[in-house]
Amino acid sequence: MGEIVVTGMGAITSIGLTIAENLRSLQQENSGIKKAKHFKSRYAESLFFGEIDQNDEALLSELGLEQGQGYTRTTLIAIKAFREAIAHAQLSPEEIASGRTAFISSSTVGGMCYTDDLYNDANLRGVPSEYIKSYEGSDHALRIVRLHNMKGITDVINTACSSSANAIALGARLLETGKADRVIAGGSDCLAKFTVNGFNSLRILSEEPCKPFDTNREGLSLGEAAAYIVLERREDVKDLRKIQAIFAGFGICNDAFHPSATSNDARGPRMAMELALKRAALKPSDIGYINAHGTGTPNNDITESYAFSKLFDKVPPFSSTKSYVGHTLAAAGAIEAIYSILTIRNQEIYPSLRVQEPIADFPFKPVLHYTPETEIKHVLSNSFGFGGNCTSLIFSACI
Amino acid sequence: MTTNREELITEFKEHLIKYLNLLDLTPSDIKNDEVLFGGELGLDSIDSVELIVLLDREYGIRIKNPTEGRQILVDVNTITDYIIANRTK
Amino acid sequence: MYIKDLYAISPQKTHDLSFEQGDWQVLNQYAYTAIEPSYQDLIPNAQLRRMGKAVRMGIGVSLPLLARNPKPDGIIFGTANGGLEDCIKFLNQIVEYNEGTLTPTNFVQSTPNALAGQVALLSENQGYNMTHVNGSLAFESALLDAALYFDEHSPTEKSILLGAVEEISDYNYNIDYLGNRFKEELVPNNDLLNSRTNGSYCGEGSTQFILSNNPENSLARFSALKQSSTLSEEEITDFVQSFLAEQNLSPAGIDCLLLGKNGDVSTDLWYDKVQNSFPGTPVAFFKKAVGEYRTVSAFASYLAVRLLNRQAGYLIENGATENPRTILIYNHFDAVRHSLILIQK
Repeated sequence: MGEIVVTGMGAITSIGLTIAENLRSLQQENSGIKKAKHFKSRYAESLFFGEIDQNDEALLSELGLEQGQGYTRTTLIAIKAFREAIAHAQLSPEEIASGRTAFISSSTVGGMCYTDDLYNDANLRGVPSEYIKSYEGSDHALRIVRLHNMKGITDVINTACSSSANAIALGARLLETGKADRVIAGGSDCLAKFTVNGFNSLRILSEEPCKPFDTNREGLSLGEAAAYIVLERREDVKDLRKIQAIFAGFGICNDAFHPSATSNDARGPRMAMELALKRAALKPSDIGYINAHGTGTPNNDITESYAFSKLFDKVPPFSSTKSYVGHTLAAAGAIEAIYSILTIRNQEIYPSLRVQEPIADFPFKPVLHYTPETEIKHVLSNSFGFGGNCTSLIFSACI
Repeated sequence: MTTNREELITEFKEHLIKYLNLLDLTPSDIKNDEVLFGGELGLDSIDSVELIVLLDREYGIRIKNPTEGRQILVDVNTITDYIIANRTK
Repeated sequence: MYIKDLYAISPQKTHDLSFEQGDWQVLNQYAYTAIEPSYQDLIPNAQLRRMGKAVRMGIGVSLPLLARNPKPDGIIFGTANGGLEDCIKFLNQIVEYNEGTLTPTNFVQSTPNALAGQVALLSENQGYNMTHVNGSLAFESALLDAALYFDEHSPTEKSILLGAVEEISDYNYNIDYLGNRFKEELVPNNDLLNSRTNGSYCGEGSTQFILSNNPENSLARFSALKQSSTLSEEEITDFVQSFLAEQNLSPAGIDCLLLGKNGDVSTDLWYDKVQNSFPGTPVAFFKKAVGEYRTVSAFASYLAVRLLNRQAGYLIENGATENPRTILIYNHFDAVRHSLILIQK
């Protein structure tokens, strides 16, 4: 792949409202998975969530947006992260509006995050809510496009939990094929009764904060987040100090096994990692750290570990940063891409929190503590989703 | 509330067909000792969760997780016995 | 990108190809529901029992195409809403059982990528797999993705299953009805464009294509594509003209125009403006056939391929075109999201 570089990042999660805050929490091992303060659900008391500590009103006012215009929480956090990313990359309003700037977003719950309003509107109960035209999965992206008068290519992807990893890959492909000169790519998903009850109905939510790669893990914790990165061709970047990392490659495939579980032989995850390595022209031994999908469900963590054992002679250091922010669904791929880039930039590894007893079936275990002063050149970041969608991304240090 | 075992079996099979949307099947097509999972019916892990919902909504029986359910959800006979012993409605 | 094969389930009789031969359905209803074939011999009962309408229609189109064109290198879908019926059924459970014990099937089936995942599963295809949900530009986004895929792999021969699906459920009908997108009164589809009132009628269906970068035995090709979500009414003519210029075409080079006019008096003006740039060009209005829905441009593309192969010519309204080689599709949704698709023989 020609050199595609990351020149800006923006993120809002339960461990920070900005990239800087996220970094501090990662280094201090501060988990954001707690009892929910703002999210209204029967499970707000009994389960733990990676909730962003800012309510909708505060977000609206901070972003300077008018009330009553149908801005959902998915949209609000997306706007917040989008603005941080474009500021970080020092893009001018003209550059953002340019027909040569693409915007590739992703979401799973999208505009359907206010379950009760949607229930009333869909069943014709009462007066239509302010969200009557906000329910599409692409609503958040369309609003950003219209706010910034963006004339370039836009897209929204939903491949469940691998969505924003795919958005980043698509963005890089647009740059490679010359269809765009800069791309803003990522995703946004907020906590919603819809997803909480969905995962609960599948019996894969953990009653305690999730502990990916622990023998006694019992499921995932849901979180909410939005994250975007700015991608450009290296030759177009005038100020080289803007470059955060190189986007070295990706692999996308389907497990073709089950609608909501990974195959026992982990053929999809393995193939995605192999394709990414091939595209980046790297060997497995070049990988210095893996930001695992690591949801904390019994099924994912065992099959992902199995895939590691088959692909790597010596499994590199790995961890699941979902132990900090929970599973943020469509946003997870972009959040973890950013954490992977922070790993490279700061040459340090953020651990899997709360692991007491690593999975015993394998001779390797996740990184258990914040580990500074490591030497990492290439990072692999995994995202696997329902529907069998498997995506792996590789980021490399810029030298 | 159905008390006769035979009637309960038929009623449960009707629920089973409805909850799992087993197209073109009637209660008599499902044998009482036919294994539900991994057999000809082709049921899988999602069906086991659907069955847990069935038992909760129709008979007031709470099963915490599919692993616990696996010992109960073997065939129509085992489930019927479990319903008789544990139903709350 | 060359089109090797195509198939559709739609409110017209495309499932048995009689629509192409002139068997036109007069529709006098608020919802233009799709005419579905029997799936019994096509989809195993173990899978069919769980499928909502969107997934069912989608699989019902994919499997016959894959039987004729096995093992494409990738599967790419566009859908604004996916399985919305399952989605709201699950939502209703959440509210009605107060977040109690809920059945997961609706949740799993409601995710828009369920279709691409099921197609991969049923055809054991581990290749590239993507679902675009870019609202009323979701099919266009899927098209762009396919174009990128062929660009990247050139000159190696590759094939893609590309498709779109949208379903009508009571719920999305209600939501779009409250959003003033549908007509209050009933007029037959033949008179749709003369109704002079707001709104349109809701349609649904799945349209899919087998694409290849090898031109051999192809029916037509997707030549170019353009999208915008920021146009003003004054800019639409320039938008079309600059697209033609980029393709080295003049309005006279377009043999037939397919317009997304849907009978909504508040937004049909945009189509009239575009049509005025093509004086005397034959035109067909595809929403008279299938109604308004967010991935309807996939059906327009289907119709274009048929017209380029001398089928369904009866739909051309003003002056027959003997042997069209170049067709331009212009569609918009709510006058917010606009797209141009160029399809050539």
